[in-house]
Amino acid sequence: MDIKLQIKDTLSKLLKVKLEDLKDDVALQNSVGVDSTEMVEAVIALEKTFNTKLSPNEITKFSTINDIEKIVQSKLGSS
Amino acid sequence: MEKVAVTGLGVVSPSGIGRRQFWANIKAGRSFIKKITRFDASRYPSHIAGQIDELEKYSHVSERLLKKIDVFSHMALIAAELALQDAGIDISKEDPNLVGIFLGNALGGWLYAETELRDLYIEGREGVSPYMASAWFPAAPQGQISIYYGIKGFSKTVVADRASSLMAIGYAKKTLNKNKLKLILAGGMEAPVTPYALLCCNTYGGLSTDNEHPEMAYRPFDKKRNGFVIGEGAGIITLESIASAKKRAAPISAYISGYATTCDGVDRIHPAADGRELARAINLALLEAKVSREEIDYICLDGLAVDIWDNSEAEAIKMVFGQRAKEIPVSCPKTMFGNLLGASGALDLIVTILAMEHNLIPPTLNLDEPSPEGLNYVAAKAREVKINKALVISRGRGGINSVLVVEKA
Repeated sequence: MDIKLQIKDTLSKLLKVKLEDLKDDVALQNSVGVDSTEMVEAVIALEKTFNTKLSPNEITKFSTINDIEKIVQSKLGSS
Repeated sequence: MEKVAVTGLGVVSPSGIGRRQFWANIKAGRSFIKKITRFDASRYPSHIAGQIDELEKYSHVSERLLKKIDVFSHMALIAAELALQDAGIDISKEDPNLVGIFLGNALGGWLYAETELRDLYIEGREGVSPYMASAWFPAAPQGQISIYYGIKGFSKTVVADRASSLMAIGYAKKTLNKNKLKLILAGGMEAPVTPYALLCCNTYGGLSTDNEHPEMAYRPFDKKRNGFVIGEGAGIITLESIASAKKRAAPISAYISGYATTCDGVDRIHPAADGRELARAINLALLEAKVSREEIDYICLDGLAVDIWDNSEAEAIKMVFGQRAKEIPVSCPKTMFGNLLGASGALDLIVTILAMEHNLIPPTLNLDEPSPEGLNYVAAKAREVKINKALVISRGRGGINSVLVVEKA
C-alpha cells in the first residue's frame, strides 16, 4: 500500500469517515471537520502505522493529506 | 415569579426509553431492579441496580462521537433529543443565543475514566485517549449537547449530589423568569453502574444489600427498609415561557410554578433528623408558586429508604401540612427503576407530570408496613386521583433540600 493510501486508511478507520471524504488537498478541518483532540489521536495512530515519531506541531487540523504524506515521506527517508 | 411551561419530556431509564414506554411500565408497577450484569459485581456488598441494556437501539449519535464521550453523555444526548421531539422543536430554527441548558449530575462519567486510567497504568501516557480530559467530568453532557445543537445561551451544570437535577430545573426556571432566554433544556443524567462508581456508592453507605431479592430490595417508608438501590439514566425536559410556548402553539405538559432549596448543614453525610429545613424548602416553594397547602394533591417523595432520611422527610411533610398530611397521596416511584442519584429529581418530575396527565398516582413498591405512619402512602398499586398541583422533593447528601411545585397544564 502506498503512503498516501495508508494515511487515508488510518485516518478513515480512526475518525469513522469514508475514504473518499479525505481529500488530498483540503485541510482535514475542512474536509472531515476534525477537532484538535482528534488530531492528537490521529498523530499517535499515524506514528503506529509508520513506526516513526511525528509531532502534533507539524501535523495539525490545517494539514492536508498531501502535507501529511510529505512529512511521513521525509521521516521515512531520513530514518 | 411567573410559571414556566414544560413542553417536552425526554426520559432514558431502566423502566423504558421515551415517555410512552416509560409510563406503561410505571403505571403497571413493574420493577426493573436486577443483579448487575455489566461486569462481575458479585463481591460488592450491594450488587443490584436499575440497568439500561439497549441504549444503542435508541441512539442517534454517530460512532465518531460515541468514542469521545462517556455513557452518561450518551444518555443525556438521547434524552435531549427525545425532549425536543416531544416538544416539536426544531432547534436549528431557534436563535442559539436564546437557548440554554441546565443539567445536574453527581458522579461524573466513570466508565470512560476507569477504562482510561487502567490504560494509563498499563500502557503509559500514550495509551490514554485524548478525550479522557473532556469525557469524564460532570459538565461533559452539558457541553456535548451544546455542541450537538449549537446552543449558545447561558448554561450551567449543577453538582449537588442527589438533588442536582431538581436544582438544575429550579435554576432553569429562575433563569427563564429573567426573560434572558427563550428555551432551556433542563434535567440530569447519571451512570453509576460501573466498577469504581459502584464502589464509591457502596463506600458511601446507605445501599441495600438484599442482593438475593433485587425487586424487593428498595423499600422506602417500609418497616423493613435497608437502604436504597442505584439506577442509571437521564431525564431532560424543555422549558419555555408560557408566552413563547403559546405563541408556537406548543403542547404544554405542565407548569412549574415554584422552586426552593435549603441546606441542613449539620453533617457530612446525614440530614438533620428534625426535617425542619426540608419543611422550610417546601414552604418557600409553595410561597413562590402562590399555591396554598390545601391545594397540593400529590407529593413525589425522595425516599432514600434509610431511617433518618425517611423519618425526617415524613416529619417535614407533617410539619408543613399538619392534619392534611394524612390525606395527601404520596408515593416513591423510583422503587421501580432505582435511585438515579444526580438525575433522580428530573425522573421524579417527569413521573409526576405523567401522573398528572393520566390522573394516576404511580405506586411505591415494597411498602408493606408503613414506617413512619401518618402519611397517605400509595403502595403496591397505582391509584386513580385527579392531580392539579403536586410537589416533588429531592434531597442530597448532608441535607440539601430541593422542592419543586408542578401544576397541571
